[in-house]
Amino acid sequence: MSTAVASPATLGGRTGDVVAVIREHAAAIDEAASFPIDSLQALRDSGLMGLLVPARYGGLDGDLHDLVAVSVELAGACLSTAMIWAMHCQQVAGIVAFGSPALRERVLRQVARGEVYIASVTTERGKGGHLLTADQAMDHLHVHRDAPIVTGGEYADGFLITMRDLPEAPPNAVSLVYAPRSALVLRSNGSWNPMGMRGTHSVGLVLEGDIEPDAIVGPPGDFKTVAVTTFAPVGHIAWAACWLGAARGALRDVLRLLRSSADRGSLAPESELLRHRIARVRMELDVMAALLARCVTDAADTERIEDIPVQLRLNALKVYVAEHSLRVVDTLIEVVGLRHGYLRDSPLRLERVFRDLRSASLNYANDRLLAANGGLALLDQGVHLAL
Amino acid sequence: MNDTFIAVLRRHLTYLAVGTPLDPDAALKSLGLDSMRAVDLVFDLEDELGVVLPDEAMNAATFATARDLWGAVSAAGASVGMRL
Repeated sequence: MSTAVASPATLGGRTGDVVAVIREHAAAIDEAASFPIDSLQALRDSGLMGLLVPARYGGLDGDLHDLVAVSVELAGACLSTAMIWAMHCQQVAGIVAFGSPALRERVLRQVARGEVYIASVTTERGKGGHLLTADQAMDHLHVHRDAPIVTGGEYADGFLITMRDLPEAPPNAVSLVYAPRSALVLRSNGSWNPMGMRGTHSVGLVLEGDIEPDAIVGPPGDFKTVAVTTFAPVGHIAWAACWLGAARGALRDVLRLLRSSADRGSLAPESELLRHRIARVRMELDVMAALLARCVTDAADTERIEDIPVQLRLNALKVYVAEHSLRVVDTLIEVVGLRHGYLRDSPLRLERVFRDLRSASLNYANDRLLAANGGLALLDQGVHLAL
Repeated sequence: MNDTFIAVLRRHLTYLAVGTPLDPDAALKSLGLDSMRAVDLVFDLEDELGVVLPDEAMNAATFATARDLWGAVSAAGASVGMRL
């Protein structure tokens, strides 16, 4: 780990302490489909909410390697909690890269202290869901946003919101704005009872309120630049790290079972079939880890981030890991069978991880990214690979 | 090295002829132990000696010689208060 931390605590130490807490709460939040309040508190106390905040604002000054390392560990204990944290980090990265100096000063210090958890409001409900209006006389911006799904929305302390730009701007002009919870009136609509990722407590939300003009993140009307250079790369890397971490955690638990002398007799660890399956699982994890590591290198090279081969890889990372992390867990369920793999009260909890990972292809839909990558791949006649 | 340990180990040393004494410092690799099957040796040792070898012991040094392996096995036994 390469981070320079603000206190003597190591990143591994901070992460290990939090993992113990979130592991303890993982089953209960899944059962109740409730937000992991205690786990988030542990993250706030650990300093990890400010992992990507520069040291000059009191943060841990971490980079994408650190984001991956922590995401993988958290997700091995609870994928819902890991995703809540990782998406918060994605929002923080956006503010670090594109926030105005005043906004950074206001928000990043609070984030570093663990006081502010930022949720992402980027999904849209067809047409007319959002309106950003400038009030010249009052010198503020008025936000009115109807979002069909906001992860952790009822518990966030701040929101990064995509808004169609001021009415006089062209319809494709979208701005990203930061709004503290205190400035907003929130109306939650809809319940949350999904197959998996139940702890993310993602609900429909209507947000309305007035924000400072300096709370626009990035060039007004040009969310696309923020998305291409920061939001998408950091998001894909963070999600992939979480999904890979969940699949890795599943293999680790299965290996523990296979290696434990009490249980292995019934699981036939000497069989060729089992060894082939385990080999394939491990191979997939290594392939995903290699692609993820490459994309971390890609994302750090801001000069080339918009190059077609790089965009292809960053999209492929999301699609590939979404598909294969789920497949890995599916195979592991086959390996350990019904009792250890399918029962809800099995200590391995593979069924929870399987349900959680089923969301991965739908979360910013693989179909959309594949359509984009199909177009991009046709442009790259030279087929430039990362060789 | 106790008798059970030696008996279990010998089953995995395909090049060690029956009746030939086991040299505690001979390279297990040269006696026919391959890394792909090391896990089967671990399973057999754990089953028959009732010990659990820790993850930290899963490296080439542990499997270098019979003496090395016995060191890991007896340490694992001692850690749970077992005299082998």
